[in-house]
Amino acid sequence: MFDLTNLKINSVRLVLTLFIIFFTLILFGISPFEVFESIIYGSLGSNSKLIRTLIVWAPISLASLALIYTFSAGMWNIGIEGQIIMGAVGATLIARSFLGEYLISPYIQILFAILFGSFWGLLSALLKVKGNVHEIFSGLGLDFVASGIVIFLIIGPWKRDGIASTGGTDLFNKSSWVPTIGNDNFPLMLLLIILFLYLLSLFVLKYTSLGIRLKATGINNLATSRFYFKSDKYIIISYLIAGSIAGIAGFSQASGAYHKLVPSISGGFGFLSILIVLISSRNIYFSFILSFLFSILIVGGSQLQIKLGLDNTIIGIIQATFVLSWLILQRIKIETIIINKFLGVFSR
Amino acid sequence: MIFFENTLITVISLSTPLVIAVIGETISEKSGVINLSAEGTIMICALFGFMFGYITDIAIVGFLFAMLLGAGIAIFISYCDIKLRMDQIAVGFVLTMLLTQLSNYIGQDYVRINGPIITKIQIPLLSKIPFLGNVLFNHSLITYFSILLIPSAWFFINKTTLGLHIRSAGENPLTAYSRGIDVKKMRFLGTLIGGSLLGLAGATFSLYTKYGWSEGHTTNYGWIILAIAIFGGWNPYRAAVGAYSFGLLQVLAIKAQSVTLALSQILPLLPFPMMIFVLIFIQYINTKEGRYIPRVIISLIVGNQPEALGKKLPEEIK
Repeated sequence: MFDLTNLKINSVRLVLTLFIIFFTLILFGISPFEVFESIIYGSLGSNSKLIRTLIVWAPISLASLALIYTFSAGMWNIGIEGQIIMGAVGATLIARSFLGEYLISPYIQILFAILFGSFWGLLSALLKVKGNVHEIFSGLGLDFVASGIVIFLIIGPWKRDGIASTGGTDLFNKSSWVPTIGNDNFPLMLLLIILFLYLLSLFVLKYTSLGIRLKATGINNLATSRFYFKSDKYIIISYLIAGSIAGIAGFSQASGAYHKLVPSISGGFGFLSILIVLISSRNIYFSFILSFLFSILIVGGSQLQIKLGLDNTIIGIIQATFVLSWLILQRIKIETIIINKFLGVFSR
Repeated sequence: MIFFENTLITVISLSTPLVIAVIGETISEKSGVINLSAEGTIMICALFGFMFGYITDIAIVGFLFAMLLGAGIAIFISYCDIKLRMDQIAVGFVLTMLLTQLSNYIGQDYVRINGPIITKIQIPLLSKIPFLGNVLFNHSLITYFSILLIPSAWFFINKTTLGLHIRSAGENPLTAYSRGIDVKKMRFLGTLIGGSLLGLAGATFSLYTKYGWSEGHTTNYGWIILAIAIFGGWNPYRAAVGAYSFGLLQVLAIKAQSVTLALSQILPLLPFPMMIFVLIFIQYINTKEGRYIPRVIISLIVGNQPEALGKKLPEEIK
């Protein structure tokens, strides 16, 4: 992170990707400045808007953090969506039980979200380790199985009184919502969880043998036996941790954002986080910042329809273009050429 | 009997795009490339196929353009995979994200309008056969194409030299390379053929089985196709069986809608647990206990997973 050449390369790359996005927007006949102005205003313009951004940021940042663990172990945890969904199911289970009326409910929800999420992660890991199933396929399969379970629960056992619709369950009891403070419902609890987990991960991945072994597994999982540990074990551990964190993201979605269980409870944030971690290349600081930028885009983007009459799918296009051009630039290594040729003055 | 016959006819025509796409994905995976952009490719090709069909009012133009677009996307993936040596899974995944959003954005003006309609063509004489004639020989041209595609894809993969070379690139690129096979070209060809079939399948959705365009028109079909391709064990015949089974599931789901809502929502998700089951089974037969499973069952369920599937080309291949 604090490596200066890397910082230089990354900033040049950032400028180049922004150019590409600007060009893409102009190609669609959209003024990039207007878009970005209304995005910034729509996501950070007032207290309530900022809080909405934070509520979106919570699951995305958590899911990105979860993915850092599995990517470190060399695993493509595309099953993250399913883990988020199952976390939400775990949270809903508690919120709908007798515990839902007590103020202790959110804390037990977190426990169950972790339990459910990590179980779903464990399935992917076991399929990989014991069944030798490519994690892409098992993850994808488990994603859809999880969404099947949610749809079943919403239409079946957890349906609203009288009507079975795919609109979601009843709203949770207020004491089961994520605790907030102030008139604007500032989600302090979620922010504390995020900060705690990020700091913990920073430490774990950098300074513990667990972190080193996870990385070793990711780099060459056949050679790890030379160092007297089994990579299989660390693949399972990485999935358990990722599933737990993703489960908390699901809790944040169910009890923080929707206050009920809906069919699209994950909001596609799991897949979005994969994009984030692809660019950040497992850098924790970078994922932290990028996930915030992406949530600004999402919340600000939902205002585009009203302000500029633009469909908010443009946000998805911006995000994906950003990631794709970033990845390609990374391979072409054009930044080094630019730095050497044109910015030589600054490096002296 | 009439009910049975009608169901079969619906299944065969409803499964047309699935069959085409699954065979495309199979060919692509045979060459070692998981085309994870299937979801996005199908969606954007569905849009552009419909768009060009609508503008020119000739359905064929739509199909051809969708095929070209699918091929173009495949070329892009190949370029990233072979020339830039990027992770093909990453590229495919990002492309899916990009193309689905892009199609929703571009397609706004084309929501729920009518374009060209494909007519059914009765094959003379053959369509007069009782039962079979109606079921097999009274379809649109694209359905005939999809049916013919199954044996020809099998023949191409298993009986031609080019097919052998494509397979070798997917099994063991390094060995193939040392035997003088242009591995890069083979991977490119496999992806290209697969991609254009995916594109064609997209247009088949929007111009035939799921007529028209709406936001997220073909959502989840790409992922389902990835699942069916594995269920099909990388064999066109079994892939087609998988596709038709899914078509049947869809028909059942529509029928179940009047009975229970839950069943109709959950039935279409069945391919995913099936896929996982097949993958576990493949591994299981290699274990000690697995040897006691009758050969017949094994040959029905297990396929040859390409050894180098999803892996980068070795650095040695220049």
